[in-house]
Amino acid sequence: MIIKRNDLKRLVEDLIGQGKRVIAPIMRMGLVEYGEIGSFDDITWDYINPRNSFKEFLFPQTEAIARYRIGKKDVELEGVIPELRETIVLGSRPCDAASTASLRSVFTWGAEEDPSRFRDDFYLMREGVTTVMTIACLKGDEDCFCTTVGLTPESPEGSDILLKETVRGNFAVTPVTERGKAFVEEWRDYITDEREDLKEIEYPEVLEGIDTGKIGARLSDVDVFDDPVWQEVARKCIGCGACTFSCPTCHCFDIVDEATGYEGERRKNWDACQFEYFTLHASGHNPRDTQFKRWRNRFLCKFHIYPTKFTSTGCVGCGRCIRVCPVALDIREVMEWLSR
Amino acid sequence: MDREKKLREKARELLESKEVDLVIGYGWTRYGKRVAPVFITRPEDVDRLIWNPMCVNNLTLYITRKYPDVKAMGRPAVVVKGCDAKTVNVLIQEGQLKREDVVLLGIPCEGVVYRQELYDGEVTKENVSPKCVVCDVKNPPLYDHLIGEKVEEGSGFEGARNIYQEIEELDKKPEGERWAFWMEHFERCIRCYACRQICPLCYCERCIAEKNMPQWIDTSAHGRGNVAWNLKRAMDLAGRCVFCGECERACPVNIPLNLINQKLSMVVEESFNHRPGYESEGHPPLIVYSLEDREDFIR
Repeated sequence: MIIKRNDLKRLVEDLIGQGKRVIAPIMRMGLVEYGEIGSFDDITWDYINPRNSFKEFLFPQTEAIARYRIGKKDVELEGVIPELRETIVLGSRPCDAASTASLRSVFTWGAEEDPSRFRDDFYLMREGVTTVMTIACLKGDEDCFCTTVGLTPESPEGSDILLKETVRGNFAVTPVTERGKAFVEEWRDYITDEREDLKEIEYPEVLEGIDTGKIGARLSDVDVFDDPVWQEVARKCIGCGACTFSCPTCHCFDIVDEATGYEGERRKNWDACQFEYFTLHASGHNPRDTQFKRWRNRFLCKFHIYPTKFTSTGCVGCGRCIRVCPVALDIREVMEWLSR
Repeated sequence: MDREKKLREKARELLESKEVDLVIGYGWTRYGKRVAPVFITRPEDVDRLIWNPMCVNNLTLYITRKYPDVKAMGRPAVVVKGCDAKTVNVLIQEGQLKREDVVLLGIPCEGVVYRQELYDGEVTKENVSPKCVVCDVKNPPLYDHLIGEKVEEGSGFEGARNIYQEIEELDKKPEGERWAFWMEHFERCIRCYACRQICPLCYCERCIAEKNMPQWIDTSAHGRGNVAWNLKRAMDLAGRCVFCGECERACPVNIPLNLINQKLSMVVEESFNHRPGYESEGHPPLIVYSLEDREDFIR
């Protein structure tokens, strides 16, 4: 199936016309970002991977989860139901699409087997109204390493619909999920049954010397946990949250109350394991008291905790943590060390 | 490159003589073409040290109290450009560092790139760091060993964007427009605190952003919280910021932090005739009270 570029435009304009939220790569302040578009022409087509992942549209950086008012005698509490708008992410990359499974794993941890376990409805409600239309990458940049962590520039994982660019500049359409099939069915008029040759997809090089299976196994070893090399690799880390906040799979959050006078909101905000106070206990004890321990934790989360606890992947190889790091800390160097 | 060779020689000498335990400099990363801070402790590793226009980081960050792990490694030598050396002066003024605690390997610098990914073998008016366009410290004002010959002062990046001109143009706009300009930027802040973490002069043991009894600054990344955070940091740097430009470089969402920090520097210079970083004596004006301080703002 093919959707011509012009028909894709009609589709997008129709979706916007229906009041739906369309997220796509746009140019802002010299950066390509996923953002809400007001028209098809807002979309930037010349991009490798936007600077943010689209996780912020499923798991916002800050959101109210309850409201309260403190009275003379009591406290009034009010739950918050998120305002939901049907959302279409157009132009996601396969790595980002794959990461939604990673977010879901955490936000529904154990709930499938045991319905009494907690499910994060805020996340699930948003995911439930979101259709992910991925566009396969034609090439990566020098920081892309999806092929090293088991994905490819055309992986369908996590996408509802996978689009691949044709030599004529149109898109071949492959519905992946039930949601994707229903979407294609709904917009069938814009999609033809023609066939077109696809543009060639250039895979990022699989990095020799990196073996995620081996990394996982080595990370189970207590001696590796205590290896002084961690201190060396993370010595330059400045402890900011640029990597975690750009990462499509990082999911940690903090709950804060924000009040003005006697009224306030309980908010759920992104948090980062790289921050000094992330693990600070009320007693004053901090189990991750120096930066290398915090950096080690992030790495363990991706390559040990995730593979041990979930079937989803902790790192999708998008390369954002490498691109944004102010001190050029490259996660691949550590992956290589642990593959030895 | 000649300077690079001299840098390695000096580093080897310092490590072999045990004058220092550690040299903090620049080196290549394993993948890609990036330059990162490196910590050299053995004379045989000095060849990892490099010098080129991608050496943007202000490495004096690592000799502040934010890095107890680095401190535990012993006496450091640090590679400093002119702008980085200015930071050392402020750290000394503020009692954070004693001059004798560190060996400074001063490198005369003819300009670095704004962001490493923009570099294509040459520093041009398009990719140069904005601090270099108005630089008057190509030769470090403070050093123990100068690596190579001094260079001629003066910018040489004619036609590059000039931060002071940009500030002037912004100042001309009506208040509402200026507010809209900053709100558009601050709303995009993701509160990753890369600006604070990369800044050698943001060394508070506990940042106000982390004080929550009471919560002075909303941690939420919404307009109110972001404005509070960014303005608070700018105010804390007023009269101290040496324009190393690291906060803006580190910002993953491109907030033009140089504009706000340099605006405040201009205000401090005008009010107190003080430019931070040029000497290690005295104190930054906003941390001391002087009878000569202007009072004309009290009406």
